[in-house]
Amino acid sequence: MNAIVESITKEYNNHILEVSTSQNETYLTVKKEIIMKMCDHLYHHLDIPLVCIFATDERKEEGSFKIHYVFSVDREDAFIILRIDIDGKNPRYPSITNKVAAANWYEREIQDMFGLIPVGHPDPRRLMNFEDWPAGVHPLRKDFDIKTKPPRIKGEYAYRRVEGEGVYEIPVGPVHAGVIEPGHFRFSVAGEPIINLEIRHFYTHKGVEKLFENISLDKAVFLAERISGDNSVAHAVAFCQAMEKIAGMDIPPRAKHIRTILLELERIYNHIGDIAGIATDVAFSFGAAHANKLKEDVLQLNERITGSRLLRGMNTIGGVRRDIGSKKDEILVSLSVIQRDFRKLMGLLFSTPSLMDRIETTGRIYNDIAKGLHVVGPVGRASGIDRDTRRDHPYAAYREFNFKVPVSKAGDVHARTIIRGDEVCESIALIEQALWSLPEGEIRIKADDIPDGNALGYCEAPRGETIYWIRTCGNKIERCKVRDPSFCNWLSIEYAVLDNIVPDFPIINKSLSLSYSGNDM
Amino acid sequence: MLEILIKTIKTGCQTTKYPDVPEAAPEGFRGMPQLLSDKCTFCGECVRVCPPGVITITEKNNEKTLALSYCGCIFCARCEEVCQSDAVKLTQEYELASLTKEDLVTIIRRKL
Repeated sequence: MNAIVESITKEYNNHILEVSTSQNETYLTVKKEIIMKMCDHLYHHLDIPLVCIFATDERKEEGSFKIHYVFSVDREDAFIILRIDIDGKNPRYPSITNKVAAANWYEREIQDMFGLIPVGHPDPRRLMNFEDWPAGVHPLRKDFDIKTKPPRIKGEYAYRRVEGEGVYEIPVGPVHAGVIEPGHFRFSVAGEPIINLEIRHFYTHKGVEKLFENISLDKAVFLAERISGDNSVAHAVAFCQAMEKIAGMDIPPRAKHIRTILLELERIYNHIGDIAGIATDVAFSFGAAHANKLKEDVLQLNERITGSRLLRGMNTIGGVRRDIGSKKDEILVSLSVIQRDFRKLMGLLFSTPSLMDRIETTGRIYNDIAKGLHVVGPVGRASGIDRDTRRDHPYAAYREFNFKVPVSKAGDVHARTIIRGDEVCESIALIEQALWSLPEGEIRIKADDIPDGNALGYCEAPRGETIYWIRTCGNKIERCKVRDPSFCNWLSIEYAVLDNIVPDFPIINKSLSLSYSGNDM
Repeated sequence: MLEILIKTIKTGCQTTKYPDVPEAAPEGFRGMPQLLSDKCTFCGECVRVCPPGVITITEKNNEKTLALSYCGCIFCARCEEVCQSDAVKLTQEYELASLTKEDLVTIIRRKL
């Protein structure tokens, strides 16, 4: 870690204003003119992924806005955070999207939420504030009151257009068939193959980050739990870990083990549900019915051990709220039955030609696209990105267990299905290890007062790397940035569908397992 | 094909007869919270910690009223956790559907 920081400081010595370190996070305050060059250097030359960009409004304390670029040094379990100051009177800064494509949505988000303009951004349209939102109103600025109801104005959104002989547009959504959330998809097709897709989201933007700033700490964990319904545990754990890191708290080992078990249970039911969805979308109802039955078995197991099918209400700052140690035998027995059935089912699925025909080579995301967009989680791993927060930045009790991180290079729906199947088996093995080595002792420690400070909380949700950056001040949350994995993965669908036929879109969409709720915060 | 057929027959019918045959929630299930008027001291601690803010306490004509609405309840059991006098309990009841909002509020009162 020191070597990397040293090499950067040596190279950009004149441009670095301040260096500070807290635990595994190194903050470098740099001049804003150099930011594009530095990000490019870190991202492309040193191959360090950019995992998040967020802004803070520090006009009251320091007289400026700040933008933070979080890079994850996976090899050394560390983070490098570049920070630039932006004067409130001239809120402009150089965009890095032309060099680092992964910055695209973050910069547009900051433009809408803080009114800081990324100069040179290739697509400066609005992202989260829709066209009926008045100009100059930026909800995450500190002077914006949460109760404000801005007037609606008239405006229009310009879609990218593909024109030519025989090119047709198919608009889909934002209201879809079935109980899913809103999102607009605009396909341009020439015959059956898709030649362009543009997605538009954030129809149900809820202002979660603003809500965090207006609730007390003990309630905030329940808000985090509800950001993305089926990734409840991951969000709650990431939130709690950020808080515990600020407080310098080491939670009891038993709580760490229980958290690990809960996270893996969540992964199992999500992955099995996704496999059921893929089977549904290729009209293989036998596979779908059996996978859904297995998912239900896991959900009922969740309910028996925690009182909540989606494992909610278990995490708290300082540990967990319920002990599941007494249910050890029940968990082990249920999981062994589930594992046996699941393996058989996967064998059956992959030996069915009508299913294989639909999923092989469908929805391919090439490694360079996946890397460029910073695709995370099982989708990234199916495209050859060997990253897993559990292994690269061990948290909870993952340091103590052996597990494999399945990676594939194919990048198609088939590869993503295989990766999910393998991860389910790994998760079951992890739960077994955690239960056999469950330490005795307390499950939570008291955490009434959280000191002022800031820290990153991170976690590998079933969909991928989830990141929280929290700053506390006077026992309140001053800023809470939430980066859900879907925020990174949504754009990859625009590439995954290219050259595929329209009827394959639902399968591709399902295989990416994208969350609307986690994205539209 | 044959394999699929065998598995289908082996698995058999998986659906249950619910709601014709009632199904009890497992022990420890976080269901409808219940207020116990004989134990409650009206201290207001549950009101303070309730994340969605669905518990309210009011005082009128020398009478204290504690009301809990299930409409927004998230069944987090924070009220149960903080209550010193065990006056809030989460039950195993989960069939909360109702035609009126009034049915979804539980109220306890105490004369001062």
